[in-house]
Amino acid sequence: MTPAPTLALLVLILAALAVAQALRRARLWRRGRPAHVDWLAGLKALPRRYLHDVHDVVARDPYAARMHAIAAGGLITASVLGVFGLVPALGHSPVYGALLALAFAAALAGGVMVGRRRSPVKPARLSGGRFRLVPPALTAYAGGGLLVGIAILAGPGFAALGWLGVALAAAGAAVLVYLLGDGPMRHVFAGALHLAAHPRSDRFEGGRETALHPVDLAAPQKLGAETPADFAWNRLLGFDACIQCGRCEVACPAFAAGQPLNPKKLIQDLVGSLAPGGAPYAGSPYPNARPVAGVGGPELPIVGLGAMVHPDTIWSCTTCRACVEECPMMIEHVDAIVDLRRFQTMELGAVPEKAVQPLLDLRQAEEPGGRALAARGDFAAGLALPKIQDRPAEARPAEVLLWLGEGAYDLRYGRTLRALVRLLGAAQVDFAVLGAEERDCGDLARRLGDEATFQDLARANIATLSRHRFGRILTADPHALHVIRNEYPAFGGHLEVVHHSSFLDELVAGGRLAVGDLGAALPGAVTYHDPCYLGRYNGETEAPRRLLDRLGLERREMARSGKRSMCCGGGGGAPVADIEGERRIPDLRMGQASETGAAIVAVACPTCTAMLEGVTGARPEVRDIAELLLAAVEAAPPAAAPARQRQPEPVA
Amino acid sequence: MKVLVLLSAGRHPASGRAGPVPVELAAVRLGASLGGADLAGLHAGPDADAVADALGHGLARLHLQPLAPDADPLGALEAAVRRLAPDLVLAGNRGQGGEDAGLLPYALAARLGRPIVADAVALASDGDGLVAEQALGRGARRRVELALPAVVTVHPSAPPPLPFAFGRRRSGTIERLPAFAADAPAPAAPFEERPYRKRPKLIAKAAAGASAADRLKAATEAASGGGRVLVAPDPAEAAAEILAHLRAIGVLKR
Amino acid sequence: MSAPRRLRRDPRGEKAATAVTGGRRPRFDLGAEARGAAATGPSGRPRRDPRGEADRQRIPGGARLRMDRAHRGGASGPGQVVAEASAPAQRLRTIAAPAFLVGAVIETSAGRPTPHARQVLGAARLLADGHPELGEGAVVAFTVADAGDLGPVGADRVLPLGDLITGDYDPEGLAAVLATAAETLGLRHLVFAETADGGDLARRVAARLGEGLFAGAESLTATTVTRAARARRTERRAAPPRLLTLAADAVAPHAGPLHEARSLAAADAGLGHAPEVTRGIRAARRIAADPAAVSLAEAEFVVSAGNGISDFAAFRDLVAALGATPGASRVVCDAGLMPRSAQVGASGTVLDAACYFALGIAGAPQHLQGVAGCEHVVAVNTDLHAAMIERAGLAIVADAQAVMPALLAALAAEQAAAGRDREAAE
Repeated sequence: MTPAPTLALLVLILAALAVAQALRRARLWRRGRPAHVDWLAGLKALPRRYLHDVHDVVARDPYAARMHAIAAGGLITASVLGVFGLVPALGHSPVYGALLALAFAAALAGGVMVGRRRSPVKPARLSGGRFRLVPPALTAYAGGGLLVGIAILAGPGFAALGWLGVALAAAGAAVLVYLLGDGPMRHVFAGALHLAAHPRSDRFEGGRETALHPVDLAAPQKLGAETPADFAWNRLLGFDACIQCGRCEVACPAFAAGQPLNPKKLIQDLVGSLAPGGAPYAGSPYPNARPVAGVGGPELPIVGLGAMVHPDTIWSCTTCRACVEECPMMIEHVDAIVDLRRFQTMELGAVPEKAVQPLLDLRQAEEPGGRALAARGDFAAGLALPKIQDRPAEARPAEVLLWLGEGAYDLRYGRTLRALVRLLGAAQVDFAVLGAEERDCGDLARRLGDEATFQDLARANIATLSRHRFGRILTADPHALHVIRNEYPAFGGHLEVVHHSSFLDELVAGGRLAVGDLGAALPGAVTYHDPCYLGRYNGETEAPRRLLDRLGLERREMARSGKRSMCCGGGGGAPVADIEGERRIPDLRMGQASETGAAIVAVACPTCTAMLEGVTGARPEVRDIAELLLAAVEAAPPAAAPARQRQPEPVA
Repeated sequence: MKVLVLLSAGRHPASGRAGPVPVELAAVRLGASLGGADLAGLHAGPDADAVADALGHGLARLHLQPLAPDADPLGALEAAVRRLAPDLVLAGNRGQGGEDAGLLPYALAARLGRPIVADAVALASDGDGLVAEQALGRGARRRVELALPAVVTVHPSAPPPLPFAFGRRRSGTIERLPAFAADAPAPAAPFEERPYRKRPKLIAKAAAGASAADRLKAATEAASGGGRVLVAPDPAEAAAEILAHLRAIGVLKR
Repeated sequence: MSAPRRLRRDPRGEKAATAVTGGRRPRFDLGAEARGAAATGPSGRPRRDPRGEADRQRIPGGARLRMDRAHRGGASGPGQVVAEASAPAQRLRTIAAPAFLVGAVIETSAGRPTPHARQVLGAARLLADGHPELGEGAVVAFTVADAGDLGPVGADRVLPLGDLITGDYDPEGLAAVLATAAETLGLRHLVFAETADGGDLARRVAARLGEGLFAGAESLTATTVTRAARARRTERRAAPPRLLTLAADAVAPHAGPLHEARSLAAADAGLGHAPEVTRGIRAARRIAADPAAVSLAEAEFVVSAGNGISDFAAFRDLVAALGATPGASRVVCDAGLMPRSAQVGASGTVLDAACYFALGIAGAPQHLQGVAGCEHVVAVNTDLHAAMIERAGLAIVADAQAVMPALLAALAAEQAAAGRDREAAE
């Protein structure tokens, strides 16, 4: 017996133990609800998903990307090479020894890099605890393998060195196996399986599958998730894939505002509920955490004062998907939160106090403010707002159906909609509104977990929309856009929806609107705040920027923009849940806008408008892109303006 | 204690859609607050569509007393209450669907020979009786002890209804009571119905005898604000003005 | 010799009196005349002084000219209009042999009818006088506690019922008494106030008599009465029935001649002894509202703090001294200086208060939505152009932080003075 085959045996034992640990863990996942998984397609797509999607996210932190490539690549290559030590001829081949040494040296370098991340000071987003065992275990295993390689390279006289290497590697391997079962290394197999069996198979390779999955309200099982066992098994697998890198907590607006939500801790609480008594959590806690009993189990409730997670935690979420966007393990935090909310709302009726009335009004008046649907058009105050019902039957279909959304009832946002209506008039767009037939799209109900009310609204809206003839739906509300475009198809509504930023950009590009230069009229730069439901949920980040650039304004970017933008705090029913924190999310976001030195924050969403307008003190002005474009159209030289209809704007 | 909540077919004030009446849902919550109460709802009407959502607001059972759409519900409700024999009948202080005058609980109490207490915002059982806390407006309360069985109406200032839970609505049961041979509808006094028009309230300032100009002034002032403005007065002068104004409008009583 | 009824004007002399001396061109100060002694015209009627009024309406400070048109030269404070109305001496109207009777149930506060009760009497008066074809009707006021003189507010007869009920809260007994009186007196109408107790009593009487009730009348004439129905979506109109309750501020109090308010003996109304009643109410105890603890939605008088307030101890003292309920703007609640439950506005509580006193609140649109239902708004703010100043019936452009101690001092001084008066009286 020489060191080489012993190392090979060690690697094989390590692999066997890893499989055993994975199977032990899989028994836990199987306590979840069944889920349909296309294993063949998933496994086939695994390498692409890993190299393309996962790597794209990991590469946002270049150090982490290099570290992971070297450590994981070196470890796997070296271990596979190590197995070849069983071939007697290779046991003394200097070439094999050199290759083995090289691979383990790379793994060793990776292990050192892993260690350096937490040394001398651990960054707040990273976890301590068992994570501190990873670098020594990795370096011991890799260092031991390196010694074995050197021993083979150096020749028979150096067997003692080889044995020392084997001993070192065995010690490291033992710790790694321990960390595989219940520790950071679990991500190796859980992450790989999660990529293959991911519950949103269409989100990879550039796809943006962001619609919430419907609940079968007629099914006899309970609605939403109360216990870990109420999650689909591949969701439980996804929670286990978490490597606690903390990118989600850095991105989370609620975390930044000091509300009691930390996506990383939440995922770890879900893991801890499934398997109580596991590795203790050693990352940053929920800010201003509310006390809970901390009792959990596969069949025990997750949310509650006597359980693992305080209700305030799940109601703090703005469903902005920033955590999902940042997660290298492709975990779907928002889905988990909405599933937990669904149980609270539909089975317990335990919604935040201020959300009760809006949900009730959505149910009884189909509008969260309990206002008359016919009053939705009141904002127009004298502007022509043609109703689709008034169109003659023989007329050709309206070019666009203008979906006004909830913002139409808001005084401030009425200004934006008036600007949009005037722009449509100026460009001679043949548009119409639904009038009293437009119900709320159901976004608020769905995010707050009231799937029953959402489905009622969705079906009623789809039935209404299918009765009328029009080309596309135009809306200034990204929430309505997302719900109608992405979530109505599950209920049979297949509708083409365009956001006003894209539509207005088309109009200007197509020469239907002549714009003047706003640079002189509006001195100072403009910065664009991406609405989550437009940018992250629908990937539309370019059209609004293109449009702003046409207006002759200097455009500056905030540190967080595009798909990685920060939420205004208005999504997911967070304003009605109104969970107390230390700061307000819109104040934080407005602070980021101020940092650019811009005089104007351009917005493209009624919720963002309301939240950012609510910021007090000296700050950039909040203007919707429709308002800015209208100013530019009015600044255009009259000769250049094609067939403009001047419609007097009544004083509000 | 056996508690029965009367439910009427309400309408949402903006949408006009049928649904339960909020103050009756608050009554459901008060009934549930009595701890260990055997709680059920009662509706008299052709179907339970309008009130079935009450099952999502904390009511596990709902009795439907079938009744023709235009029939006077009083006799049917009396028969149903006698059949179900609750210790306590709860109702909203204003039901909907009929006269909306809040008279029905009184008429029912008179027919049943039970005492009635109005506008409860809190209930507690007290031996063989009941203690009801009555809302008298502007936060004043009266604690009333009354004998059971009784009828109690609930005030909108009571704790708000329990949030709607679809799952509970789904699992709640509706039981049909035997059909009731309804009385012929009471000969209602003739009336005319028009779309609602908000009427201007009298302004206390322009009380009787004030001139038309004063009344106009008072009315436009209330609508537009636009009252007196003192710019940069001495703080003591400002304080005196404010106190005089508060006394004049009657909110400062000492 | 009597003075001539009308003085003759002397235009030349008047003009000469206003001549401005000095300068070569003749100049006249036409305002001088009005500012001078000629405040009454030759006919003896007070003369208007448009210039002087404009001067007094002018708001000092600020570069722009701002006029306070509502402020008529310091003459009319809000309270004085009412006082003037009752000043002239009134004629007495006696209805000795009424053709029919209209009952009014009077609620009192501190020995006087409440404003709502006066409106009930006004409505009863309207119904009694509105049928000349039937003859003169008389109004019978039913009182439980002492209501003072009801003649000026339109009562022809007063029937005290206090001795016929037990204790100070006996709605069951009172309803029986009123139902009996309605029958024995053959009342054509019986009007109640749609208040907590008045509404309760009306329904008890209706149930006892087995009659309908026209509840919460919002407008009333002798022939037509209306009220909201079907969740305030429709208005129901009918001829006034026998039993009706009157919503607040719907009918003006009686403002005509004095009525005699003659006391009726209970025995004359067939109420020689109280009717037999089985009472289910065993005991009742009134709990006064504690303004500090009342929920904002129910509060009558809210004093609210905004960004312009930094001393919250003084603010709380002031709220307590004014006997008001504390409120706050969103910013103040966000900063944790006041509890979230105190937040006024669209995202906090929407108020139903009679008066809103805003200290250091500029008035964001969401905040103003919360006070849209308040009849009176008083604002103190440093910014003349703040929306809250615009909305207020009395606006003080000043630092709220400086006004608070002045208010506290003024209230303390008043209290001390009241204390001395009491001592002096004893």
